[in-house]
Amino acid sequence: MEALVDNSGVKRYLVTINVNGDDYTRIVKANTLLVNFIRDELDLTGTKKGCELGDCGSCTVLMDGKPVNSCIVLAVEADGHKFTTVEGVAQNENLDRLQESFVDNAAVQCGYCTPGMIMSAKALLTRNPQPTEEEVREAISGNLCRCTGYVNIVKAILAAASE
Amino acid sequence: MGEKYAVIGKSVPKIDGRAKVTGQAKYTGDLKLPNLLVGKILTSPHAHARIISIDTTEAEKLPGVKAVITHKDVPTLKYGISPARWDESIFCSDKVRFVGDKVAAVAALDDETVYKALKLIKVDYEVLPAVFDPEEAIKEGAPQIHDEYARNINTEIHQNFGDVDKAFAEAHHLRTDRFVGNRTYQCPIEPHSAISIWEGGKLTVYSSTQSPHYFQHYIAREFGLKMGDVRVIKTYVGGGFGGKLEPTGLEFAGAVLSKITGRPVKMFYDRHEMFAHNRGRHKQIMEITTSVDKNGKITGVYANFMMDGGAYTSLGIATAYYAGAMLPLTYDFVNFKFDMIRAYTNLPACGAQRGHGAPQPRYAFECHLDNVAADLGMDPIELRLVNARQPNTVTPNDFAVNSCELTECITKAKEISGWEQKKGNLPSGKGIGIGVGSFVSGAGYPIYRTNLPHASAIIKVHEDGTAATLYTGATDIGQGSDTVLCQMAAEAMGFRYENMKIVAADTETTPHDFGAYASRQTLMSGSAVKQAGEEVKGQMLELASEMMEVEVSDLDCRDSIVFSLSDPEKAMPFGEVAREFFVRKGPLVGKGSYAPPKLGGTFKGAAVGTSPAYSFAAQISEVEIDEETGEIDVKDVWDVHDCGMVINPGLLHAQVHGALYMGMGESIWEQVLFDDKGKILNPNLGEYRMPTAMDMPRITSELVESYEPAGPWGVKEVGEGATIPTMGCYANAIYDAMGIRVNSLPLSYEKVWRALKEKKEKEKEKEKA
Amino acid sequence: MYLPDFEYHMPATIQEACALLAEKGQVAKVLAGGTDLLNKMKHGLVAPAVLISLKQLEQLSNIEYEEGKGVLIGARATHNAICNSKLMQEKYLSICEAAHHMANNQIRNVGTIGGNISNAVPSADLPPILMALDASITLVGTKGERVMALEEFFVGPGKTLLAPDEIISQIVIPDQSCTGSTYIKFGLRRSGALAVVGVAVAVTMDGNVCKDARIVLGAVAPVPMRAPKAEAMIIGKAISDDLLEEVGVCASTECKPIDDIRGSAEYRRDMVRVFTKRALRKAINEGHV
Repeated sequence: MEALVDNSGVKRYLVTINVNGDDYTRIVKANTLLVNFIRDELDLTGTKKGCELGDCGSCTVLMDGKPVNSCIVLAVEADGHKFTTVEGVAQNENLDRLQESFVDNAAVQCGYCTPGMIMSAKALLTRNPQPTEEEVREAISGNLCRCTGYVNIVKAILAAASE
Repeated sequence: MGEKYAVIGKSVPKIDGRAKVTGQAKYTGDLKLPNLLVGKILTSPHAHARIISIDTTEAEKLPGVKAVITHKDVPTLKYGISPARWDESIFCSDKVRFVGDKVAAVAALDDETVYKALKLIKVDYEVLPAVFDPEEAIKEGAPQIHDEYARNINTEIHQNFGDVDKAFAEAHHLRTDRFVGNRTYQCPIEPHSAISIWEGGKLTVYSSTQSPHYFQHYIAREFGLKMGDVRVIKTYVGGGFGGKLEPTGLEFAGAVLSKITGRPVKMFYDRHEMFAHNRGRHKQIMEITTSVDKNGKITGVYANFMMDGGAYTSLGIATAYYAGAMLPLTYDFVNFKFDMIRAYTNLPACGAQRGHGAPQPRYAFECHLDNVAADLGMDPIELRLVNARQPNTVTPNDFAVNSCELTECITKAKEISGWEQKKGNLPSGKGIGIGVGSFVSGAGYPIYRTNLPHASAIIKVHEDGTAATLYTGATDIGQGSDTVLCQMAAEAMGFRYENMKIVAADTETTPHDFGAYASRQTLMSGSAVKQAGEEVKGQMLELASEMMEVEVSDLDCRDSIVFSLSDPEKAMPFGEVAREFFVRKGPLVGKGSYAPPKLGGTFKGAAVGTSPAYSFAAQISEVEIDEETGEIDVKDVWDVHDCGMVINPGLLHAQVHGALYMGMGESIWEQVLFDDKGKILNPNLGEYRMPTAMDMPRITSELVESYEPAGPWGVKEVGEGATIPTMGCYANAIYDAMGIRVNSLPLSYEKVWRALKEKKEKEKEKEKA
Repeated sequence: MYLPDFEYHMPATIQEACALLAEKGQVAKVLAGGTDLLNKMKHGLVAPAVLISLKQLEQLSNIEYEEGKGVLIGARATHNAICNSKLMQEKYLSICEAAHHMANNQIRNVGTIGGNISNAVPSADLPPILMALDASITLVGTKGERVMALEEFFVGPGKTLLAPDEIISQIVIPDQSCTGSTYIKFGLRRSGALAVVGVAVAVTMDGNVCKDARIVLGAVAPVPMRAPKAEAMIIGKAISDDLLEEVGVCASTECKPIDDIRGSAEYRRDMVRVFTKRALRKAINEGHV
């Protein structure tokens, strides 16, 4: 990775990170967290910050198809990887069936956990198109929701899977 | 057109659903403005300490820092919920009163610089003795937290209705139990955030708030601005549950930083700072004595309570009154005595969490009542049916109850849960329990002293008639008020929900409303919206009468079609009439406002708990306990609600799910823990354990037929009411499963394990004897 | 929250990484998944001036079987890579299950087995089952490689025998003679919870007689610990409910738990009794390793 040194001696690195199919080349500090890169550098604010410790799952994005907490991944470590954020789930105007199912099943209340939930659910359905309820609960158990008791979220994911 | 209503009573999709599933919904922390600075507050590391000096020079020197402020730079006017208890300042000047108290703030170019600058502010403290237990705090000689409040008594309540002493003297059975609640935190997933822009004489604040109006009121007062010069705009809010009902300091400090720098300033809390700011559930210590006659009819209740308020009042006076006021609502008894002390401690201030002061006393009372049932050899449900409140009654503390289907709720819950077959017949380690509850549908009196109406609304039909916008100060924090109010507007206008737009919760563009608290919006904001919609419809029909040459009295409008009642073939599209209206008369606008009638008695504190209507609920749960480990597995929960007419069943049941979830967390897992210096031990979502998707039981949410005359179309509340019975319902199921009572929350695995162990030891001793 | 500045290195070989560690000294830390390290840095609990990333050392992610040696798990293998590995599922379902019950799915996609071991957190989930299966670890330093029994590696909370210039490169699980093994984690919520108590066992059964047993306790001592007296009590005996209870009681007297926010020492001690018994029963009955 190429590095530049600023006046104060701090190194900055040239990274290329693919997000939602597009390569973004940016200069970042080593301590830049992926979540801040996504939100501040790319202005993709659908990825939320809830706890910054990997406890709540609000910042979940897919890294090479796998859900990870972007609050505990460094941007320099993300260099060269492919990411999907919630903004990359819908195909143009058309919502993904999961997104539609969340709306139809009243699985969204405040909406703050929703992007992370959708990313975890998306990863599950890609790997396991017909999950059991237990598998759904397992897959989203790293995503905390304070509004729904998960009832309608589980329902929405199962409904999307059965389509 | 066979159905009674065209729009309400249907589970239409949320109006903001699409924006939220695509990530397009912007919360305050997502907003970017030109020239934006970021800011943070420096807080106290000590629970109680005198501030000797604050040195900001090093922080100011750090490149990128644009302003550093302390108490010297901000107004000193104290704030809080009521003039009698204004005890909180923007920044501490003399001393700090809990770990997390606000001391200074920084604005800088970016997050990193802000964090670095905070570390460079040097504060010299003289550490003072601190007190963390309310029972210790009120003793003579305890550390004095506020000079103005002797013995650290923040609020003291003594209420006495009827003749409790006589009831107790004549009791068939008298029983006293003591329960202890826990400090829990709302934990909205979105951290608090605010962006302040002070331009010229005007202050604009974007905030994750539950009440833009209340923020506007206090921000204006604090800075000596006219309310008209303060604009508070709610963005999307990531949950509140009571924690975002009052200004946090982010708004106040951000305003000052913006004024000094001339730039917009975004302030935010980290998760651990949210825990320290708190305003969550008070821990209550609750002693309850109840007398019953031989049929189990309650003849008198004495509630002797104390609560840990933390370092400031916050909304806590109301909490203290609510704790007692809601007790005689659920069950019908006339003799009631209530004593309460809310004590200051050197811990974070507590406020209004979902259900306000009511859930812990309800937990205590529901457990206590099960104990009474056991004493009498009665089935807990029978005892509740004997005492359940009935419609069109008045409580001893002067709350007028209109609709009330509590008896039906209990009966239906009993039926769908299989109580009859299960109670007493479950295998060892399994148990079933009931809890019931009731709550206000909006507070009868405003959140601060004012004679403004509680809610208002404007509906503007677009010039071509294809859409209409509802302007309301009502505040959607996720519960779905924007959706429900648009449904109500469409119903009242005879319009289609799909063509409704909404502008909400912006003090400059939307008419006044007190916001999201006390479960008020469906009834109160809904009343204003209904009136506005009907005004639009009235004007429409008048013009349509001319256009269609049909008497107004023979016209109606539904689903965006104006039609003759006597000859439905005679019809005209809403849009056509509306467009013509605009051509002939200009904007087609309807207005509405709502103020509750005068409610309640005249005794001290009579206002708290008054409401135009009350909701009722019964919950039954089934649990399984691992008798070796104390692990609790909640298997099933059944909730049956009387919440009047339902506008959106999908969203309503979702409220029940969420309320049960929060109640379950508080029952078994959630508790804010402190070390012996008053520092929070678990200010994170790893160790403050909210249930995950794998922990939740099967939930069944059902309704009973109900109509509330005080609400538009007969509506009442659900969002908080469903939290009230939950803790008691789980506690009673756990009691049923193991045959012994744990008298404190949360009912952690370890407490259950200990209780079972002690039970076994006692049994062994008995055997020996 | 804020992650303080640090110098970042991404060496291309493990030797280069070790050389860097030697050069930078105590101020340097190895960055694998980062799920634990970055959080500690945000909390200010550690403030390494240098982070040496293992990002480029792809070969450290391999999971393979080598005849004569056993199963080799690269230190950079993530928890989910272990759970999802066919090889691991065939040979060591107990390790897969232990890995599966860690933290949450997102963390398991990033956190690594090497990180889990080198952090030396008393409540860590993988060390007990690895120790029960007699695993050893390979440490690579500037002076070469050394192999050590995992059991000997831990010194105290956060403390290990890892030299400043060393990196864990792989975990070796030798071929087993045991007939059953398992790890039971007891946490206070079903996901995202640390173990209050973790018990791992490996048993060798001959009919109803226990020929050999290893019992390892987690979260009840400064380091994951064997329970030798409890092991001795079960070896050579015919299994009965009473015996399992006695072994559980014995293990509970051997552990050295402390009080913390997740549980009292007294509670933990009794949970050792319960879960030793349950783990033994499960390993005996299910009969897979």
